[in-house]
Amino acid sequence: MSSAASSTGNADRGLTPADLQQVRFSRASMLHPGYVESEVDRVMHRAAEGLSRHIAEKAQLREQVRTLQAQLDGAPASEPPSDQAVRILASAQQTADNYVAEAEAFSRAVTGEARAQYEEAVRLARENAGAILQAAQEAAARLTGPAPAGSDAGGRTVAELEERVAYLKAFGQACRTQLRSYLEALLSDVEHEWGSADPGALPAPPRPPAQRSAPEGEQDRPTTFVANTAAEDPAQTSATS
Amino acid sequence: MDIPAMRTNFAKAAATGDEAPLYFYSHLFLSHPETRQMFPVSMAHQRDRFFAALGDVVTRVDDLDALVPILQQLGRDHRKFGVLPAHYPAAGASLLATLEHFDDEWNPELAKSWAEAYDVVATVMIQAAEEAAGSPPWWDADVVGHERRTVDVAVLRIRPHTRYDYLAGQSLSLESDLRPRLWRYYSPANAPRPDGLIELHVKARDGGPVSSALVRSVGVGDVLRLGPPVGHLGLDPESDRDLLLVAGGMGVAPLKAMVDQVARQGPPRRVDLFAGFRTEDQVHDRADLERLAQENPWLTVTLAVSDDPTSELAQGPVADVVLRAGPWTSREVCIAGPEPMVAETVSRLREHGVPPNRMSSEVFAPSRPGPSVDGEVTE
Repeated sequence: MSSAASSTGNADRGLTPADLQQVRFSRASMLHPGYVESEVDRVMHRAAEGLSRHIAEKAQLREQVRTLQAQLDGAPASEPPSDQAVRILASAQQTADNYVAEAEAFSRAVTGEARAQYEEAVRLARENAGAILQAAQEAAARLTGPAPAGSDAGGRTVAELEERVAYLKAFGQACRTQLRSYLEALLSDVEHEWGSADPGALPAPPRPPAQRSAPEGEQDRPTTFVANTAAEDPAQTSATS
Repeated sequence: MDIPAMRTNFAKAAATGDEAPLYFYSHLFLSHPETRQMFPVSMAHQRDRFFAALGDVVTRVDDLDALVPILQQLGRDHRKFGVLPAHYPAAGASLLATLEHFDDEWNPELAKSWAEAYDVVATVMIQAAEEAAGSPPWWDADVVGHERRTVDVAVLRIRPHTRYDYLAGQSLSLESDLRPRLWRYYSPANAPRPDGLIELHVKARDGGPVSSALVRSVGVGDVLRLGPPVGHLGLDPESDRDLLLVAGGMGVAPLKAMVDQVARQGPPRRVDLFAGFRTEDQVHDRADLERLAQENPWLTVTLAVSDDPTSELAQGPVADVVLRAGPWTSREVCIAGPEPMVAETVSRLREHGVPPNRMSSEVFAPSRPGPSVDGEVTE
């Protein structure tokens, strides 16, 4: 047997096509024409082994291709959603939208009303303060005008009047400050109500900004309409009333 | 592409009002649930805008020169929502499904036309987004200052984590974790500074979820997300004409930014800033404006009130106050404020003799969540 034939004995490397082309068997002997049977058998055995290995590998690869293909087909090109599903989601979305819109409208109305009240109150306070000041000034002019005679009419001195004017000014200022803090309290109440009607402001913890760079990574953050407490409130109130 | 047929088909879907966009988004969310988290909880405003924008695109689809820049801007701007190229085919499939659903005469040719048109739109947007890949899709910014100035106005100071470039007069969109997925536009009240600080003036609108939160709930230490700057109110870089700036209410912010720009970068020029408010109580930035006027000899600041007879500030609508102080015919003019005030001031100054090409104006109104295809950021 040639070197090529003997190299087929290398079990690790397997049988290559070149091996098969180059294989030369030794003549058996004068008594037995043909090749040495054992050599032929050995080569055939290796060839069979190689072939079956390839077949197994091929089957395995084909299986792999099939699963990958299925994944590919399954993911993006899945069945388009049915009309029924679209309708159900659409009406759920509309319901959610309506609740949010209602909450917003409510907040708008309350805040607007509070603002109008505040402005009216400030305007009145200012007018009052102005009127009081004017009256005081007139009184002061009357008193100081006809000189000494007037001063004992009211029994008040100019200094007293000035003191009173300063007091009234301070009073006007205090009124404004108080009205303002009253309105701010009102507004923050409204804000609070709005906040609890806003699903976005509810438990779902604010995601750290860094996570946003991978939108796929956020898929696990479900969008639930259940979280909309505005949807629950009317039910609760009607149940208790 | 059979454009007339597409328009006929689109008209059928648009005629259903809210139905078609409702169908579109429900279809999109069912077939690609991962897209849901890019949108706010309430989709009502989103739906109006989507079909309006699509309608604009359909109207202009045969005028690509006008359409392409608009789409590029949209594509760049969509990065802040976390939109990826893979999302475009998803939206395209749902769009076609929607158009088919509302048209009894849907046919394969129509489907082909729409697919082609959508492909053009998506390609332009994706390319623009890719070209903008050098800058971040959004910027995180820390709130480092929060000051309540009046009952419903706050001045916020924010510091972006990384460099944020913009021009005085532009607007930026921002989002807060308190109101996720609701983006609103605000104008910085300063030109870009070496330390990166940005000053924002926010007025809480009655029932406005984002503005109320920014005024009453956001505080120092919170993080806001900023989108890229947009807007067309700006100074002509070629000009060194003297400036007349006229603001109404919250319109003070972009004009104050222009004053800041003149102070920082020049060119040296006279600047006269008029700011009109309803009452003296509402002048939310008085101390700072008066400080600026004192520090800079080239600047005058005139505050005016239109509905506060006892105030000692200039009396009357701001346009009246401006015209009493004229003449302004040689000035470059910028106007920002609520719609009636802007319209009134523009027309009065035009009568006064200011050429329209030297006036730029921006209407300040409740901000819309995304720019229209014309780049407008207010409604």
